[in-house]
Amino acid sequence: MSDLLLDVKNLKTRFRTDDGTFFAVDDVSFQVRRGRTLGIVGESGCGKSVTSLSVMRLIQNPGEIAQGQVNFEGRDLLKLPEQQMRAIRGNDIAMIFQEPMTSLNPVFTIGNQIDEAIKEHNPKMTADQVRERTIGILRKVGIPAPEQRYKEYPHQLSGGMRQRVMIAMAISCDPKLLIADEPTTALDVTIQAQILDLMRKLQQDFQAGMILITHDLGVVAEMCQDVIVMYAGKIVEQGTVEDIFYRPRHPYTKGLLDSIPHFETGHKLDRLQTIPGLVPSLLDIPPACRFQDRCPYVQERCRVEYPELRALNDTQVVSCHFPLNGDKA
Amino acid sequence: MSETLLKVDQLVKSFPITGGLWGREVASVKAVQNVSFEVKRGETLGLVGESGCGKSTLGRCVIRLIDPTSGTVTFKGQDITRVQGEGLRELRKKMQIIFQDPYASLNPRMTIGAVLEEPLLIHGLFPSAKDRKDRVRELIRLVGLRDEHLSRYPHEFSGGQRQRVGIARALAVGPELIVCDEPVSALDVSIQAQVINLLMDLQQKLGLTYLFIAHDLKVVEHVSTRVAVMYLGKIVEIAESEELYKNPLHPYTKALLSAIPIPDPRRREERIILHGDVPSPVNPPPGCHFNPRCPLASEECRQTAPELKSYGQDHWASCLKIKAST
Repeated sequence: MSDLLLDVKNLKTRFRTDDGTFFAVDDVSFQVRRGRTLGIVGESGCGKSVTSLSVMRLIQNPGEIAQGQVNFEGRDLLKLPEQQMRAIRGNDIAMIFQEPMTSLNPVFTIGNQIDEAIKEHNPKMTADQVRERTIGILRKVGIPAPEQRYKEYPHQLSGGMRQRVMIAMAISCDPKLLIADEPTTALDVTIQAQILDLMRKLQQDFQAGMILITHDLGVVAEMCQDVIVMYAGKIVEQGTVEDIFYRPRHPYTKGLLDSIPHFETGHKLDRLQTIPGLVPSLLDIPPACRFQDRCPYVQERCRVEYPELRALNDTQVVSCHFPLNGDKA
Repeated sequence: MSETLLKVDQLVKSFPITGGLWGREVASVKAVQNVSFEVKRGETLGLVGESGCGKSTLGRCVIRLIDPTSGTVTFKGQDITRVQGEGLRELRKKMQIIFQDPYASLNPRMTIGAVLEEPLLIHGLFPSAKDRKDRVRELIRLVGLRDEHLSRYPHEFSGGQRQRVGIARALAVGPELIVCDEPVSALDVSIQAQVINLLMDLQQKLGLTYLFIAHDLKVVEHVSTRVAVMYLGKIVEIAESEELYKNPLHPYTKALLSAIPIPDPRRREERIILHGDVPSPVNPPPGCHFNPRCPLASEECRQTAPELKSYGQDHWASCLKIKAST
C-alpha cells in the first residue's frame, strides 16, 4: 500500500508528575494515507494533542514517549537521532497550532519567520529566492498585498490573517503530512469558514496527508474522511466519517453527537441529550472500561474487563463489550 | 407573557482612545451604536455576532455594569439609565450576570459557600445566619451540586461545575433578568449540554428572563425565543429564532448561518464565504457597516446607512438590498 504515509503503532506517552504517573496516550494505533484527512476528536484531556505532539516528537519533560512506533514512510521516527528528526520536522511533517498569536514570534516580521523555515530546510537557496518563495506562499494562502505583509509584524495582523501566516509557514516546505491542532478554534465562524476552505484547497493541491485535531464535530464532518474518537487517553472508536456520524457504535461517540444542538430539528427548546458526569482524571481512571461511570448501558463485564478494540467491519473499530446497533442518533 | 421587562432605546456606548502629550481623546471605539430592542418577561433573547461586534458591551450596559454613553434602558417601566447609589443596588437584585470564564469569575480564596453567601450579605437578604445557610444550601442543590461542595474552593471543581456555581451565585438574590455572557463557550460539548439544560430548567422553574449572548449560533438557536444578530455595533437583524434560521434576510445573517460547520458529512454544501475581516470599530466603514464584505453591496450601500425595517411578523432587518434580492 504505497499511499500509506504514517503508521502509528501502540503509542504510549507517559507523564510523571508529583501526584503520580499517568498515560496521556495509552496504546494508540492509527494510520494516515496520502491525500486523506484523519480527524481526532475528543474532549479536553482525552490525549488528542499529546498524540500529535508525540508523532512530532515534541513531548517535553515531565512527559516522555514510553513505547510504540511512529512509522513515517517506512522509517520509525522514534528511533531517529534528534538531528535527523529536525530535518523531518517542518519539512516532511509540519504543524499548525491553535493559538496563532502565541505561535508567532512578536519581534520578527512574518516574512522573516517564514524565510527562516525555508532557509533551515533549503540551505542552498539565496536570500532573494527565499524571499520570492515566501511571498509566493503568502499569496497562495490568500494574504492580500503579500509584499507589504512580508514586512509586517504579527501584532499588525488580525487573528484570521495570523492563522493564514501559520499555514503559510507550515506549507512553506511542501510537507507530506500536515498536523493541524484546533486550527480554527480561536477564530470567528466566518473566518473559520475561510480557513477551512483554504486548508481543503491546499490539501487538494499538495495531496498531503492531514491530521486534524478538533473538538468540533461540525469541522470533522466537513473536513475529514477518517475519524478517531478518543476518551481518557484511549481510542474508543475509529472509522470513516460516515461510520462515525451515521452508525456510531460506541456509547461515548453517540453521546457526543447527541449533545450538540442541531439545526432544523423541530425540537427547539427541548432538552439536549447529555453525557452524565465528568471526564475521569487520568490519575484516577476506572479499571476496565474508562467510560463505565458515564455510560448509560454499563454492565458488570464493563467494570472488570477492558474492552479491547475490535473490528466490526472493514472500516469500523470499537472498544466496547456491548456496541450499539449503529442506528443513527 | 407579553409584558415587556426590558426596553433598550437608541443605546450608544463608545470608549475613548486617548493619546498625545495631554492624553486627549484622539478617537473612540464605537462599540454599540443606536441599538434598540425589547425583552419580554420569561423569554430568552439571543444575541449573536463575532468578536468585537459589541454584544458583551451591550449586555453590560443593559445591567449597568458599564454606563452607556447615550440612550435609555428601561426595566419594568423604570428608566434605569442614570440610576445611582442605593437605587442601583436595588436594581442589582433584579438583574444579574453569568460570565464566560468560570475560572476567572470566582475568587480562588473563597469557599463556594462564601461565594454564594456574599450576595445575600451585601443585599441584606436573609438576615438570620441560619436562614442564610439554608438559602445557600437551596441554591447549591438548585444547580445540581451537593452540600459537601460548599466547603470546597473553586480550584477543586471542573469547568462545568464552576459554571454551575456562577449560575447559583447569580440566582442568589432572586433576579428576574439574567445576562448570560457566553456561559458555555469555555466548556466541552458534553458538559455544555448539561449547563444549557440547567439554564433552561431554571428558566421554567423560576420564570427567569435571559439575555443570552454567544457566538455559537447552534447554542443560541437552541435556547432562544428570539435572536438578534449584531455586526460592528449594530443590530442587523432580529426575529423569532425559528424564523431567523429558516428565513434569514440580511446577507450577514445568511453568511453567518452558512459558515457553521454542520455535523453531517453528506451535507458538505457550498458555503457563502465572506472575504476579509470585520473592520475596526474605531473607523467603521461609511454607509452600511457590512458593505466591504457584502456580496450584494452597491454604491448606495457605501453611502446610506440602512435602518431596521419590518419584514413580516416581528422580523426586522437593516439592509437596502433585501427587496431586490428576495
